[in-house]
Amino acid sequence: MADGRFRLRVCYRKAGPLRFLSHLETVRACERSIRRAHVPYAVTHGFNPHMKIAFGPALPVGTAGEREYYDVWLESYVPAAEVLSALARSARPEIAAIGAVYVSEHEPSLTKAIAIAEYEVEVEGGDALQASLRDSLVSVVAAGVLSVEHKGKTKVFELATALPKEPEVRSSRGRVVVTVTVRIGERGSLRPDALVNAALTHVADHGRVVSVTRTDLFVEDGGSVRRPL
Amino acid sequence: MSDTLRARVERLLAGVEQPSRYIDCEWGARERPAATYRAVLAYPDVYDVGMSNQAIQILYDALNAMDGVGCERTFVPWKDMADAMRGADMPLYALESCDPVRDFDLIGITLPYELTYANIVELLDLAHVPVRAASRGEADPLVIAGGPCAYNPEPVAPFFDAILIGDGEEAVAEIVSAHQEARAKGLGRAGVLESLSAIRGMYVPSIHGPEMRPITKRVARNLDAHRSPECPVVPYKDVVHDRVAIEVLRGCARGCRFCQAGMVYRPVRERTPDSVVRDAAAALACTGYEEVSLTSLSTADHSMLADILRRLTRRLEGTGVAISVPSLRVDAFSVEIARLLGGGKKTGLTFAPEAGTQRLRDVINKNVTEPDLLETVAKAFSSGWRRVKLYFMLGLPTEADEDLVGIGDLVTKVLETARDVTPPSERGAIRVAVSVSTFVPKAHTPFQWEAQIPLEEVRRRQAVLRAHMPRKGVELSYHDAEVSFLEAVLARGGREIAEVIETAWRNGARFDAWTEEYSLRRWLEAFDECGVDPRSIANRERPVDEELPWDHISAGVSKAFLRIERGRALEGATTQDCTVAGCLGCGVCGTVGAENVLAAGHRG
Ligand code: SF4
Repeated sequence: MADGRFRLRVCYRKAGPLRFLSHLETVRACERSIRRAHVPYAVTHGFNPHMKIAFGPALPVGTAGEREYYDVWLESYVPAAEVLSALARSARPEIAAIGAVYVSEHEPSLTKAIAIAEYEVEVEGGDALQASLRDSLVSVVAAGVLSVEHKGKTKVFELATALPKEPEVRSSRGRVVVTVTVRIGERGSLRPDALVNAALTHVADHGRVVSVTRTDLFVEDGGSVRRPL
Repeated sequence: MSDTLRARVERLLAGVEQPSRYIDCEWGARERPAATYRAVLAYPDVYDVGMSNQAIQILYDALNAMDGVGCERTFVPWKDMADAMRGADMPLYALESCDPVRDFDLIGITLPYELTYANIVELLDLAHVPVRAASRGEADPLVIAGGPCAYNPEPVAPFFDAILIGDGEEAVAEIVSAHQEARAKGLGRAGVLESLSAIRGMYVPSIHGPEMRPITKRVARNLDAHRSPECPVVPYKDVVHDRVAIEVLRGCARGCRFCQAGMVYRPVRERTPDSVVRDAAAALACTGYEEVSLTSLSTADHSMLADILRRLTRRLEGTGVAISVPSLRVDAFSVEIARLLGGGKKTGLTFAPEAGTQRLRDVINKNVTEPDLLETVAKAFSSGWRRVKLYFMLGLPTEADEDLVGIGDLVTKVLETARDVTPPSERGAIRVAVSVSTFVPKAHTPFQWEAQIPLEEVRRRQAVLRAHMPRKGVELSYHDAEVSFLEAVLARGGREIAEVIETAWRNGARFDAWTEEYSLRRWLEAFDECGVDPRSIANRERPVDEELPWDHISAGVSKAFLRIERGRALEGATTQDCTVAGCLGCGVCGTVGAENVLAAGHRG
């Protein structure tokens, strides 16, 4: 079979209980939904032929995503809206496709292109939490560096580069919501819950991170940012 | 729908390993909020293992197809999650609705292998359902078992209200209907059990006395009458068998004398190529799976396998969807199939000669000769494979040290054969993995009276084998003999074992099939506490006229036939496959009113 000539960029969500899927589980679920949708996906050559598909940056287990992406190559042209509705019917709403457009073969890959991620971290805690957490975040950011322990390793982040924007704190449905925008670098990116947890250690009334959602991903285009789709 | 329980579950998930075991939302999962009768299928191991079980998918489909019936699934949470649930005082819940399992009308528990027995207690305890059937009241669900281990139900009989012997696809609907009708009549628990006991194949331990006729297994005569599930549930998690599974035949008449499956699943019932291809295509379309597996005890035996494969490969061309055929035979045809299906993948082929000498292979009626094996190996290595895996059993009846030396000799010949057909530059890559398990005598086989050799003797024989095994190019591994010992006790024990299982569970036993979780010491202490001698069950040869704990259960094959087969085994006489040689009078066809069904009408 010839290489797929049509590169379709699909935006999907990973929500509700499915936020507990690992990246690999998410990949497999999306591939299966494409097969179920009877989309004319391209298949790689070689001994172990598989669907030609490439995913954006991985989401950790437990983190939801509102606008995640993959590129899938098709053998024949089908209007993007048609593919989208077939895909949406072929997966549970918690992991369904929500957008699709064709992109040029010349565009860089999603992992290369996507540079910035926006998260919402929900925190549960007392009434005074919002104000104290805001202050605490300001001082964590002002400190300039943050070291994060993950799986026995310590990583040090320069916050001036890791955080293209100051974190914002607001309240919603009885909870404190912190919006954290991070830069996705070659050596990984700062986990937003790590930043919020660091700030929480300096807060008197105990708060607890209850959920993390990646709300948006952006590519940098010259000086401005835009969505990949 | 239990949203509060769901929210509480999700809160626990942040702190446990592999949380995708505990969420539902899978493609193909059924939610039937309007159901007036609710069943939950439970598998006594973790999600990853249970979701690989074909019977669960078949019964799930059959029950949800019934009017007004809703069927859900549940599995045993791994220890971290079980601890978290107990800590939060949260009962075991069904995945789809998140409702507590104890609120269902019926819990159906699979009995897949003996090492899950402690998990049955764990499951019921987590569900807050009394572990013993005798302690259950009117408000408790019916707890029913079925599956391969039901052929000696006694060790777990006290945990169940009823146990189904044999094929489940037709019986499940009868069970549900009988339960509904009995309740509509206002019958209490005792009355419900009474009406269940009227169903063919149903064993109700509280009713069935020794003076009654044996319970004969249920048999689905014609597998084509039952479609394979069109939309099986598709897990997100990478489960053990993560693919569409289409059963192409049930039963095996080759007559290996150690093999329980071969005896209890008779007669052979093949599905037609039309129905296999149709169901495979439908399930692939509905699930989006990247692989379909044609399953059975011995798929290469299907009389029209070549036809099925030709049609399926044509259909799947260019889709990247793979076909797999597990359970290869020791013959060139099997290698040819693996070559055609595997494309360029040459990950390894597995064959089971089981014993090292022709004498012993004749005793166990494993119809494989040394030339068969060497020819198969030659074919595999000349087709590009560089690795084969060979299965052997240690401790088979009549085994002597020569037979162990024979395994070493056979492996040496396999290596030589492989070398002869492999280009010199690639010979360094040749590997023969030799996997050796300990023989476990099973109920309803010609070896049901035999002793398992004691652990010390297993160790001695392992050493003999190791001393005669070539080193270079061989990877020798042993299946844990301490596990096989427990398996031998649980497989042939009587009702007294139930207390041992409960005691072992109380002392911490669960997930015994997981090597790192298993502790023989814990079980020996439980046997001790209950005053049961496990050695007299595992390591004792029984006189053929001794009463056996499973005498009241009939798999259709007569005890007389098993006895004759045992005699022939000891003489070293082989017995042919009845699908080739014609009926040998094992008794199953007459007893259950079924017969061998070959899609081609004949063999070859
Ligand atoms: S009764 Fe005869 S034909 Fe049927 S399985 Fe037994 S030996 Fe084979």
